[in-house]
Amino acid sequence: MDPTLVGQGLLSGFLFGGVYSLMAVGLTLIFGVMRVVNFAHGDMMVWGMYLAWLLSVRAGVDPYVGFVVCAGALFVLGLIIQRGLVERIVDAPHEMQILLMLGVALVLENAALVAFGPDPARVRSPLSQGTLWIGPLFVDVARLLTFGLAMILTAALWLFLTRTDLGRSMRAAADNPYGARVIGTDVRRVYAAAFGVGAACVGAAGALVSALLPFQPASGLGLSVTSFNIVIIGGMGSLPGAFVGGILVSVAESMGAVFLSPSMKELVSFGLLIAILLFRPAGLFGRAAA
Amino acid sequence: MKRRTFLKTTVGGAAVLGFPLPLRAQAKTFKIGAIHPVTGALAEPGQACRLGAQMAVDAVNSAGGIKGKNGLKLELLLGDTQTKPENGRVEAERVVSQGAQMLLGSFDSGSTNAMVSVAQQRRVPFLIDIAAADPITANVAQSVKSGQQKVQYVYRNFPTGSSFGKRAVQYFIDIFKEANVSPKRVVLMYCNDLFGQNQARGFQAAHKAANPSWDIVEVIPWPEPPTDLSTEVSKAKAAKPDIIAPITRPASALLLFPEIRKQRVEMMGIVGPGSPGIYEAGQLAQLKEDLEYVLTSVPWANFKNPKTTIVADEFKKRSSGKTFDTNSGYSYDGMMLIANILERAKSTDPDAIVESIKKTNDPNGLMQYAGPIVFDEIGDNPNAVPTMIEILGQKPVAVWPKEAALQKFVFPRPKR
Amino acid sequence: MSLVKLLLLFAIAALAVLPWIVGSYLVTVMIFIFFYAYLGQAWNIVGGYAGQLSAGHAAFVGIGGYASALLSMRLGLTPWVGMWIGGVLAAALGAVIGYLGFRFGLRGFYFVLLTVAFAEICRVVALNVDAVGGALGLYITFTGNPRQFQFQDNRVYYYVALVLMLAATLLVRAIEQRRFGAYLTAIRQDESACEALGVDTLRVKMVAMILSSFLTGVGGTFYAFYLFSLQPNAVFGIPLSVEIVIRPIVGGAGTVMGPVLGSFILSPLAEIARTYFAQGGWTGAHLIVYGLLLIAVVLFLPQGAYPALRRLVRRSA
Repeated sequence: MDPTLVGQGLLSGFLFGGVYSLMAVGLTLIFGVMRVVNFAHGDMMVWGMYLAWLLSVRAGVDPYVGFVVCAGALFVLGLIIQRGLVERIVDAPHEMQILLMLGVALVLENAALVAFGPDPARVRSPLSQGTLWIGPLFVDVARLLTFGLAMILTAALWLFLTRTDLGRSMRAAADNPYGARVIGTDVRRVYAAAFGVGAACVGAAGALVSALLPFQPASGLGLSVTSFNIVIIGGMGSLPGAFVGGILVSVAESMGAVFLSPSMKELVSFGLLIAILLFRPAGLFGRAAA
Repeated sequence: MKRRTFLKTTVGGAAVLGFPLPLRAQAKTFKIGAIHPVTGALAEPGQACRLGAQMAVDAVNSAGGIKGKNGLKLELLLGDTQTKPENGRVEAERVVSQGAQMLLGSFDSGSTNAMVSVAQQRRVPFLIDIAAADPITANVAQSVKSGQQKVQYVYRNFPTGSSFGKRAVQYFIDIFKEANVSPKRVVLMYCNDLFGQNQARGFQAAHKAANPSWDIVEVIPWPEPPTDLSTEVSKAKAAKPDIIAPITRPASALLLFPEIRKQRVEMMGIVGPGSPGIYEAGQLAQLKEDLEYVLTSVPWANFKNPKTTIVADEFKKRSSGKTFDTNSGYSYDGMMLIANILERAKSTDPDAIVESIKKTNDPNGLMQYAGPIVFDEIGDNPNAVPTMIEILGQKPVAVWPKEAALQKFVFPRPKR
Repeated sequence: MSLVKLLLLFAIAALAVLPWIVGSYLVTVMIFIFFYAYLGQAWNIVGGYAGQLSAGHAAFVGIGGYASALLSMRLGLTPWVGMWIGGVLAAALGAVIGYLGFRFGLRGFYFVLLTVAFAEICRVVALNVDAVGGALGLYITFTGNPRQFQFQDNRVYYYVALVLMLAATLLVRAIEQRRFGAYLTAIRQDESACEALGVDTLRVKMVAMILSSFLTGVGGTFYAFYLFSLQPNAVFGIPLSVEIVIRPIVGGAGTVMGPVLGSFILSPLAEIARTYFAQGGWTGAHLIVYGLLLIAVVLFLPQGAYPALRRLVRRSA
């Protein structure tokens, strides 16, 4: 086994882990605060990607700048979904939640299909073409940038949750909704904000990733499945979990591609998922009560 | 916006010919079910197929219909498989119940095989315009041979998976010889879906049989569509290739070619055994220089035939800028072939049509350069062969074999 | 005989004569209605009654179909026997998933993800192992020979599918009326309480899962020998799992008529959407309708169309 290849695999996997983490952060936030599993996660991200594409193609805005707009747009979408739909079933059994978000996923994916057509699209950004070389190993500038942004975004979110009033209310509502209500927190508002912020993260992630990979309306499903993997492995509701989980899954897939056949790399992440589900369902960083 | 206009044309065609009208006050027409994946994952090629077929029908009808049958006009009954096998069956049933006497379709081998059972059950001759899986026709030929079925109603005018592979290997050998180089190490990279895997296996099998001076030193499949191909390209690079042989789909092509450039893989060139994603107008617009000098062996229109350019221009107009390629081309040819078959058939009875099919010797195929359209004992056209094209000046151009070539190929590719 | 029973018998009689009245296209549409109702009914046992949401039931269809197809193609074994072997193999996978899920206490979302993971693993394996066809899939030769579970006449398939649907429905009704059915419903409503009362919930859930996956696996053979092609993405993929699950949900999970009603609502809807929308460039419109329907059902008819219908009928009676 060529050590350069292994080294490159590790490096590429590590950097791409930043992309994965970015994808997972929004999902884990929504679950952490509201215990809602957003099955429409991947499809929301695809909308973020298409919005970034529109901005790039129609207005010439680079996705590394335009992601703010995408975040904003999806924040609004998140609010609408939360207020209009999720709120009504917050007390319902889990199955209902799952099915509701599945319905939302179907609508979002096929609305994208009608609006944008089935062809794969990709956003061109001058930043996505650069490479750096460390000896025989190469570093993709775009991925490095995304990795950095993932760290910054996660850190920003962490600060938001620990330092701001709204953030603290979210954590309170997550820990103990009844208690939070008792001390006067408007739990409905908090939940709406949480879903909105989570959706905004997903939108930002979509925009930032849009220059890295080709996407189509049908991509939503795969992105959802990958994100669930990461979040379960890292721990539902844990921000550091999403970050570490993303890197772990990406490196595992990369090593799977290097040592096994790349077409089987999904087996590695699914195997990891099953192992975690069985032996530590709370994930690496999650709290033990599932 | 272009997509919308493209669809408007097909809608126009569909509205005129496809919708079941309550009362028909027009002359009797010969109805053909044209079933393609116009929605779903394969919508892009599917829509091209439908337009190709539509254009052929318009051409035949405006020239006076089937002259040997009193100017009988053709009518298309349109079907959509949504890229799902079960819909192949349902749509075939539907158009047959609306009076279709022949079937054309359906691009994706899974739905095509689902249509076979309808064709055989209801005795409706079925001309496959595009689908590469060998067993589709071979199975029917086998069941007729063993007496389980009386007549074979399924025929194919398209290269089969195995013929793709054989030709590709041959072209590789020819081009290396012509260019006076002897590469030794070929790395095969392919998208691991039905098409990609089939192509890859065909290529590997043909390589083993031909035993040329070059080896396939590494085989790298990836799940389609991929999110990341950096590790795959790293693996290819580590195998020190003289040639990378890619089999892609449009989505993976968007990732693969820039990645090859970014990782600075040094080699003689990229020569593919045949895949989409390399020659389409949309792909060229997105990938630009990354596709320059890439060679690939694909079913291609014979532009040495003057008629081809005329049809290609019309297609470009009606599709808002798309290239007349494999999909639109073979569907167009398929429909024109049906007209030819009907012309010679003793009647419009299914068995009479089958007789006419078997006797086919049609030199008018726009996709053919290796001989007329004929059908062998399995029901395939042995003269349907791919052409090696190269992207030169960001345009796809036929470069091999000499009978089809419009330009000389450039290989090895110039150093950057 | 009660009015309801009379109506049902009349409906069945009407269905029995239908193929001789309508054309082959409608017969095909009905075949798919029956087939998906059958799959939905099989799912209903573990997903509806026991409340263990599985989003990976396509895996059982795939295993059943592949098994009988391979046995037929490679060993010449008639699918009439192969279908049961396929069912057993599917049940074996069901047992594994069930054991892992239930023994390790996976509920709700976690169980869903476990089923999806297994289905995806099956799909990737089928895609990559050449011996079972790889990405090309399996192509079954059409012979029309009944000994090979193939029929020259579409109408025979119709009756097979009808029988499958009726048999599954009767089975579910029988379960509902027995103690086993009561256990399932009780587990869905409050599993801890059941355990406290001494019910062996693991065993009950396992039986439900095995039964459900066995029946689904048998259905896989019908799929294989009606469509003559097995593609890993089509037959193991999540879209098929969604089609299986959505009919009982919309029709009424945990009820006898739910999957049947759901199928009679959704399949024609999909047909109409495909025939009339797709030509207008509204690609995927029928799935938007699916999604909206799902949302509407969850918000307004969480128990499904059938219980709502029942309430309506009772109120007007």
